[in-house]
Amino acid sequence: MIRLDGLRVRVGRFDLVDISLEVPSGGYALIIGPTGSGKTTLLDAIAGHAPLLAGRVWAHGEDVTSLPPEQRRLGIVYQQYHLFPHLSVGKNIAYGLRGQAAAGAAVEARVHALAALLGITPLLERGVHALSGGEQQRVAIARALAPRPSVLLLDEPFAAVDPATRTVLRRELRALHEAEGITTLQVTHDFDDALRLGDTVAVMAEGRIVQQGRPEEVFRFPNSAFVARFVGTGTVIAGHVERTGDLEADGRFAARFVSGALELHVVAEREGAAHAVIRPEDLLLSSAPLPASVRNRIEAVVERVELLGPVVQVHLAAGRDLVAAVTTATASELALRPGVRVWLGLKATAIHLV
Amino acid sequence: MREPLLTHPRLTAPRLVLALLGSLLILFIIGPLVRLLFMASPSGLGRALADPELQASIVLTVLCATAATAMAAILGVPLGYLLARTRFPGRRLLLGIVDLPVVVPHPVAGIALLLFLGRHSLVGGTLASIGLEFVSHVPGIVAGMLFVSAPLLVSGAREAFATVDPKLERVARSLGDTAWESFRRVTLPLAGRGILAGGILAWARSVSEFGSIVILTYNPKVASILIFDRFTAYGLPAAVPAAVLLLMVALAVFALVRLVEPREHR
Repeated sequence: MIRLDGLRVRVGRFDLVDISLEVPSGGYALIIGPTGSGKTTLLDAIAGHAPLLAGRVWAHGEDVTSLPPEQRRLGIVYQQYHLFPHLSVGKNIAYGLRGQAAAGAAVEARVHALAALLGITPLLERGVHALSGGEQQRVAIARALAPRPSVLLLDEPFAAVDPATRTVLRRELRALHEAEGITTLQVTHDFDDALRLGDTVAVMAEGRIVQQGRPEEVFRFPNSAFVARFVGTGTVIAGHVERTGDLEADGRFAARFVSGALELHVVAEREGAAHAVIRPEDLLLSSAPLPASVRNRIEAVVERVELLGPVVQVHLAAGRDLVAAVTTATASELALRPGVRVWLGLKATAIHLV
Repeated sequence: MREPLLTHPRLTAPRLVLALLGSLLILFIIGPLVRLLFMASPSGLGRALADPELQASIVLTVLCATAATAMAAILGVPLGYLLARTRFPGRRLLLGIVDLPVVVPHPVAGIALLLFLGRHSLVGGTLASIGLEFVSHVPGIVAGMLFVSAPLLVSGAREAFATVDPKLERVARSLGDTAWESFRRVTLPLAGRGILAGGILAWARSVSEFGSIVILTYNPKVASILIFDRFTAYGLPAAVPAAVLLLMVALAVFALVRLVEPREHR
């Protein structure tokens, strides 16, 4: 396990404050934040390479805050991998095994086992200069895992590879995590990493963790407009909530959300200024007016159509800009193109207010 | 794949002018040296090689330059590391001080060292009382050489350490190395060639030093002073064979530097 208790870390001219997170043994957690938000410095502080202004770091049940990096048993893989350029792939992987009481044969066995696990056995004798980004990452992970650290710290591990390699590496990293069962803490700016890899995600904004939970929970129910925008939940619209119905037993009530010319029926917990988060997949598109049973019926004009693999993203003008997601089949059925008039349907309960 | 930095230039008029101007300077540098090499006859060189005074002088020069370089390395490599790795108040001032000997005329450096290390100064007097005399003694030669060559070694070491990404050291630490082990196993092997190149340059600079040594320790004579002495006493024919021998030593060192220098610096 690893536990961060109220860490305070200086990053250039600002501080990361009150960073608290616990990753259980064998868990995979991600700290996600915008580029330049100090994520690498945070990892450095956890690993003992940068000073902590406050807080404690616990690993494998022990307070490691005052230990030097070499005694923390935390493996680290940086964004650019930082393989030792004067050593072969095999010697890079074996680097951390020297200090252990392991005999030469045991070192070799561990190096070969990790190389086999990561599919890099043919590279063992090679230098590191000619390796591709994906190969370098595999070597860096093998090197970090070799001395059997209690926790693996990953700094933007997919930032330096192309999208196709990223997909493969994500899958491999998840499989490796399951095979080795090592507690992993990754920092990233990409919420896709969290959705595909993590058990827990903590979103950082302006130096603080503003929301943490299971990735799908954070994605579906962001607690602020910032998180909604950052994780890409959907369209975020600023407006005002006015109560229209009675208070229900669960503390919620029927209300109207007003933003300029756009008016939506919603279910709210409080009145006043708010942001409505509308997920693209919750918007129902139709070429004819929708029946009255649909709570929110909105007339809109298609502004732009973007093909994203099997899904089409439709940008719409409806008093406020909205984004809907439909299948390619639906898009061609509705003949969606700029200027086309459509009707949108949206359940009141599907609108998430923050 | 790295983009090639150099391309084959097309011969345009502006480039032709640049090439002509550059050629003049190159001629000015190699012309006198080639002329000197051709001045010495093989028999003259043979006599110079057998000359016991010249032999002793070259041995003294090489030994003193080696001692000065070793001292510059022991004191300067840690300083180079500090300057490359840390930011602290006064760092820029320190960088300026390290480079100061480069701008001080060497006879001026000799006079300054004479005043600092002479028997009548606090430092020189204290050191003389424990048997370490500088003026007109071998340590004076080493001191002059150290003063003028140390900046080359410190700068070489600083630049070499600056090319080693600190994250490599952090990775090594997280893999179980102490700070010293990560320096020995990662930083030093990667910066080694740059430091060695700086060391060889410092050594070569020491071998060629004249201005400060002539003031501190005229006798025993290092090679540069012996050549000057023979030139003033007996004229050109007596000075040339010794000059050629010293030039050949310098050229050999220069070739060595080019061999060990990291490729990107060439």
